[in-house]
Amino acid sequence: MSETTIVETGKRPEVASSSPGEWIRKNLFSNIPNTILTIVFGVFALYAIRGLLGFILSGERRWEAVATNMRLLMAQGYPANQFVRVWVALGCLMVLTGLSLAIWNAKGQLPIKKISNWTMNIGFGLMLFAVLAPISPSSRLGWVIAGVLFLTFGFGLWMSTKNNQNRTLDSIPTVWFSFGFLGTLVLSLWIVPFGHYAFTNGELVAETGRTVAMSTKLPFTVMWVLLVCSYCVIIRVRDYLPTGQAKALLVGLWFLSPFVLNWIVLRDPDFDYGHVISTDVPVAALFIFAGGGILYLLTKPSLGELGRLTAIALLIFGVFNWVAAFFGWYPMLQKVRISFVLLALAALIAPNFAADRRTRLKFVTGWGVLIVISHWLITAVNSPSTLELQGPTYLGGFSLTLFVAVLTLLLSFPLGVLLALGRTSSMPIARVLCTGYIESIRGVPLITILFFFSNILPLFLPQGMEIAELAAIVTGYTLFSAAYLAENVRGGLQSVMRGQYEAADAIGLTTSQRTGFIVLPQALRVSIPPLVGQAIGVFKETSLVAIIGAYDILRIANNVVPAQTEFLGVKREGLLLVSVIYFIVAFSMSKYSQRLEERVGLGER
Amino acid sequence: MTQKSKLIKLLAVLFAFTLVTAACGGDDSDDSSASSSDEVTLTAEGGSLLETVQERGTLNCGVSGAAVAFSTLDPEGRMVGFDADFCRAVAAAVLGDADAVNFVSLTAAERFTAVQSGDVDVLMRNTTWTQSRDTDVGMDFGPTTYYDGQQLMGKAADGFSGSSTVGDLDGATICTNAGTTTEKNIGDAAEAAGVTINLQTYEDFDIVTDNFIAGACDIITTDGSGLVGRKAQQQPEGEEWVIFPGAPISKEPLGPTYGQNDSGWADVVNWTVYATIIADEKGINSGNASGVVGNDAYDAEAQRLMGGEGELQTLMGLSADAFQNVITQVGNYDEIYSRNLNPVGLNRAGSSNAGWTDGGLIYAPPAR
Repeated sequence: MSETTIVETGKRPEVASSSPGEWIRKNLFSNIPNTILTIVFGVFALYAIRGLLGFILSGERRWEAVATNMRLLMAQGYPANQFVRVWVALGCLMVLTGLSLAIWNAKGQLPIKKISNWTMNIGFGLMLFAVLAPISPSSRLGWVIAGVLFLTFGFGLWMSTKNNQNRTLDSIPTVWFSFGFLGTLVLSLWIVPFGHYAFTNGELVAETGRTVAMSTKLPFTVMWVLLVCSYCVIIRVRDYLPTGQAKALLVGLWFLSPFVLNWIVLRDPDFDYGHVISTDVPVAALFIFAGGGILYLLTKPSLGELGRLTAIALLIFGVFNWVAAFFGWYPMLQKVRISFVLLALAALIAPNFAADRRTRLKFVTGWGVLIVISHWLITAVNSPSTLELQGPTYLGGFSLTLFVAVLTLLLSFPLGVLLALGRTSSMPIARVLCTGYIESIRGVPLITILFFFSNILPLFLPQGMEIAELAAIVTGYTLFSAAYLAENVRGGLQSVMRGQYEAADAIGLTTSQRTGFIVLPQALRVSIPPLVGQAIGVFKETSLVAIIGAYDILRIANNVVPAQTEFLGVKREGLLLVSVIYFIVAFSMSKYSQRLEERVGLGER
Repeated sequence: MTQKSKLIKLLAVLFAFTLVTAACGGDDSDDSSASSSDEVTLTAEGGSLLETVQERGTLNCGVSGAAVAFSTLDPEGRMVGFDADFCRAVAAAVLGDADAVNFVSLTAAERFTAVQSGDVDVLMRNTTWTQSRDTDVGMDFGPTTYYDGQQLMGKAADGFSGSSTVGDLDGATICTNAGTTTEKNIGDAAEAAGVTINLQTYEDFDIVTDNFIAGACDIITTDGSGLVGRKAQQQPEGEEWVIFPGAPISKEPLGPTYGQNDSGWADVVNWTVYATIIADEKGINSGNASGVVGNDAYDAEAQRLMGGEGELQTLMGLSADAFQNVITQVGNYDEIYSRNLNPVGLNRAGSSNAGWTDGGLIYAPPAR
């Protein structure tokens, strides 16, 4: 009996489907008060939609201000002849997405019934638009026809599932539906005359009645092809791949991609190869081999207390180097200082790998990979960019918003988990430090922290050390958001019952094993809703970077476009666009979290 | 398997840590030759700012970034406008390249701090030259590039005309943006004229203008340059907006601003502005500036200024052809003015910003 229940979990009981007419009667007009409420709110909603449509379609709206400034809104001053870098970066992400879809999500099915519902909803939306929008009768007819087409198509689909007795075709793969949908959007760029906007010799040429410029539709098509091709290739060979390792590799690539894409593809660092060969490579090699040797020794199972003492000595040495840098006692390469701290941290976790020879060698290999990647990125960050841009940051517009949000979330999540663990740990020093950190950060407004990191921090840095504006923003924001994430994770930690800890102890797990395999998975599962709430907050609050002089999308729409000579005071159009963009991103995040909650069974167990 | 996934997790955490530290610290001794352009550079202790700027290779110029026709971003992301062009002029003089400017957009509140902390070398941010800023705040001011003044704008349909005065405002609703001196100026002017006005303030001038168009405000007031721009762009068809009084109710001389007590730097900025004015007087423009030296059609002063015999630019620490670069790459005063301010309806002729020979105030000392 219990076996059947396990099999059934994850599948929802099927809801008896009813015809649209029945549904309307049952839900909207079931009794008199319900009918009155339906009518009153319906009229309200219609007025609101009509008002919004009137606003959008009014002749006073100057949407060309938004169209002309689209590049400014998306990427600020990113030069047009360098746009290929943005597309290359996006292309890398597309390939990664295709690979991940093939590895993870290949079996998702989308019921035809759902598609028919969506199609009918679109049809209703178009009809509503045709009825309410203040447009000319001829275009109204066009919209009505489009709406009827959608409605008929959706209804046909719905009927076909109903009459389909053997039910062979009641769903199609979600992935192919998404590809088809995106493909239709891309195809529409080639067919629908959205208007042709292009910069020729610095002059904006705008022609209505033509499709968008080649520089827009071609890259989007390439992106779609990359996505579909990478998916198709992997899905063919999927069964021969070691899935576990492929997943690990993809997770690593996703984690690395923001850093690599931003610092390598977008900036294209101008490496000084003489310096790289004479200094950077030897330093990295030294750390890989000498550091690797030390770590190999430290993972010796019979080492005991000595290993711990060595690790602590290394940590003290690593921190001392930074103190020395602050007072300028002796010069040392920045990356050497960072590497010493990394070595100390690796030494601290080394006892966890004190096992057979293979495990120890794997740990040392991991160390080598870490050094190669971190040294490469440090060198890349500190090499001048070949990208020539005006202004203090090399990103702006929506790219800046995305960049700050993604990097902040990526970096603050591990930090937040560590802080939460520290705050709930039994070690008094760690607990006091973490509590103090969380409370003091939570007691300070984000604006203050951003000001501090952009204006005041440079004055405290050691002599000759500088901080890039963008790095200052991300660092400050990460430290801020980590404190809030830590509190969300702590809530999850508290929901893990005492018995779980005791059971883990009883079967002889070490503290780190207990935390990593028993406590954190349960705690993080519970904290998904507040964590996603926090992530959405982080994304939206990136608009505060405007205060320290960076041009994010909101600032460009609110202050820059209305100040242009040709679009003086044209503000509402841009603000509407910005709110739509913010909504799309935030809503997608929220939708994704709902799916995640469903998958981990939150609220059901 | 468990060991492996643990390893991945730990490496991820470690890696995040590296990146934070890496982001925090540019290499101090590692890549001294390679300091990236998006880093804040502090002014060197002692010595003139001129040497610092020449060493750095870019000019950090503070602008508003949202001042119509003075400094705004165009759709391609370039900083354009009257103030932005004077930034380019200084860069052309000091570095020989008008594009070697790093524009820093500043709010009104942080502009002076940015100069004092060395974030910007010069401020071209429609900053009015006042006694308190010159003395108390610790700024020095260069020659005025634009003479502005607060004026009022009303509708001809309400009986206002170009010859109206503050005395005609009795009972009118006057709107302006909050927290600026314009609010105080109109209050004082109304009191002096003995009329009662109904003053309303809004957060920014876009909203003020919208209320004026909708009829919630009879009169709006701000600097004349702002009003002319609004009239040129937003006056509805069939309506006539008028700007008055002819003599503005306040004096707003706008020009370059820099930190005090750096005479070498001040000379460079001031003479860059003067060079554009003198070039305008002598008929030298971006088209013919490169052919002035050795051409008998131009007098000795023009020859000297463009780097000919007896030039004085090298004494200032600039290259001999510094001002020739300015005129070739950016243009003379009239070119800069017409390029940026004519499109919003601000014309030089008849205004305070006409040349001194045409009855205006734009005047430069002789270059000899």
